[in-house]
Amino acid sequence: MNNLTQRARMQPVLGVGTGIAAFASAAIVFLILIFLLVFAWPAIRFNGSGILTGVIWNIGNQYGSSTVTHNGVTAQAGASFGGLVFVFGTIATSALAMVIAVPLSFLVAVALVYRVPRKLQPLANTLVELMAGVPSVVYGLWGIVVLVPWVGNQLGPFAQAHLSWVPLVRGETGSGNGLLAAGIILALMVLPIMVATLRDVILAQPPTIFEASMALGSTTWQAVTRAVFPSVRKGFLAAVLVALGRALGETMAVLMVCGAAINQFPSNIFQAVNTIAAVIVSQLDSALTDASGMAQRSLAELALVLFLITLVVNVVARLTLRGADRSAQ
Amino acid sequence: MRKFSMPALVVAAALLCAGPALASTRLLETGSTLLYPLMNLWVATYQKEHHGVEITTQGTGSGTGISQAIAGVAQIGASDAYMSDAQMKGTPMLNIPLAISAQQINYNVPGLNGVHLHLSGPVLAGIYSGQIRFWDDPHIKALNRSYAARLPHHEIIPVHRSDGSGDTFIFSQYLSFSTPSWRNGPGYGTTISWPAVATAVGANGNPGMVQTCKASPYSIAYIGVSFLNETNAAHLGYAALENRDGRFVLPTASTIGASARVMVAKTPRDERISLVYAPGADSYPIINYEYAIVNPHQADPAVRRQLATFLSWAIRSNGGNAAHFLNSVHFLPLPDSVVRLSREQILGIR
Repeated sequence: MNNLTQRARMQPVLGVGTGIAAFASAAIVFLILIFLLVFAWPAIRFNGSGILTGVIWNIGNQYGSSTVTHNGVTAQAGASFGGLVFVFGTIATSALAMVIAVPLSFLVAVALVYRVPRKLQPLANTLVELMAGVPSVVYGLWGIVVLVPWVGNQLGPFAQAHLSWVPLVRGETGSGNGLLAAGIILALMVLPIMVATLRDVILAQPPTIFEASMALGSTTWQAVTRAVFPSVRKGFLAAVLVALGRALGETMAVLMVCGAAINQFPSNIFQAVNTIAAVIVSQLDSALTDASGMAQRSLAELALVLFLITLVVNVVARLTLRGADRSAQ
Repeated sequence: MRKFSMPALVVAAALLCAGPALASTRLLETGSTLLYPLMNLWVATYQKEHHGVEITTQGTGSGTGISQAIAGVAQIGASDAYMSDAQMKGTPMLNIPLAISAQQINYNVPGLNGVHLHLSGPVLAGIYSGQIRFWDDPHIKALNRSYAARLPHHEIIPVHRSDGSGDTFIFSQYLSFSTPSWRNGPGYGTTISWPAVATAVGANGNPGMVQTCKASPYSIAYIGVSFLNETNAAHLGYAALENRDGRFVLPTASTIGASARVMVAKTPRDERISLVYAPGADSYPIINYEYAIVNPHQADPAVRRQLATFLSWAIRSNGGNAAHFLNSVHFLPLPDSVVRLSREQILGIR
């Protein structure tokens, strides 16, 4: 009896508690957006559309005494906040990561479910999950010590010698810091999420799909691509979009291997790029010494752009999934 | 589960409460990553000899150091660059030199890392703006007649800092002061808008510069002298640089000292001055003061006293400027007349 009244009393507490929690998560996103908008507002007025279309990023002359005023807001003389290079780099590195990670993660997930002996499966699963737990800076360190020199000294010269007919490979390959290194690092970082999601999606399918296909005489490859894949397409897409969301915002590892390009686009996959997240981190310290404050505000405006890009990816993800739901019915 | 005994908890709680009470004054130093290793050496020794003060050090970057000192979060903002006039107009701060640092131009040219190539401001400006693209460019050959035949026809990889940096500040000053087209173009600052060069690479921090230069044959980089041990271990070459008098000099204690001696006489009372590209036959062209950025108005008298005591100790030749501290990071001590100027500034903390 006592126990029952206590339970009844707890009911509204739980209701209010979960209500606050649900509201808080939405409110936090909203507050971040408001903060970015308010803080970046002078930069939005100063830069206009230049933040998305301009190529030159210059916080201006820190040690000059002159300033420039545009639309009623002031920046250091010579300031130009063009973010197109970083928007391009953000999308290009993530896209390249997807090109590498999507087929790879599918193969790994299939191997984990159908190819690894049952006894070894827990071990294999743990190894993949461990990959997700490795801190980003560790990937970056491996990238700078092992991956970048390999790309710069082995892969680059090889590609120059033998693959110069491929459009995005041709040309000066430089040091190895660049789009390809960043794409590979990002692919490795998002792989565990994609593999884990895909493995669960495949395991959730009735095993009869695979077994029936095999019974009809398919090879494993045919059974996987023709019978299993079509039934897991939606989960597959979800895994890709979650991974893409992570790749777009990844900062430290990318900063360490991307070559931090400024004022230029790469002409092949080996050359330096820069992402929004990386440029915010690397430019913030100098931006803090801009007496006009415009450099900090322009970095906040870049953050706003990144926020909107990830928001668009999320919305597209939801719409696609809903579409997939409808077509499945 | 093992339970802690009540007396043990009481003792622990008492210690937690007493800790802050015993170390009465706390100072926070934050900023320059170039000064950070030296600060750690200083603070470890200083706290053994001085009680009643607890100093915390952080390597966050010079810009962060300046802004946190202005905001009052940190009592000492460590910076490789002095504050600009525009910043000083906002909040006047003391810029107190603590030591003298220098910078080397390192390169990784297979076969030539054992010799000291001759390089000048205009040639470096040409490399970093993409006008000089190959190691066997006539401009480089002209400065290195004895090695002309060994300079490879290979594209140069110019490496610059991707993060805000005092090293970018003094390197771009060397280019600006020696090359009019650079002065009127990218100019100088802790971050500059680098000209587009297809092979150019940005690296994060001095460790990133060393690693990128080491891993990329035919690269060139500017690296703080406190990383001399690392660049030597990586077998990188370092250049003899052309000074204002047209002589090529290597960064040694005597050439850095020669440069400092010339610039000391020109140092104003507020000590905000560039030491780069000093005149004099033996002057090494890229050196700088390492600064403590301090708010002259300290409300708490205990903080004011401890801050002044620590800074005075740091610049004394038998304190922080002693050879055994500075040698480990290859910094040079402040000349006597600069110590006097710095001391006067420290007395200005009120």
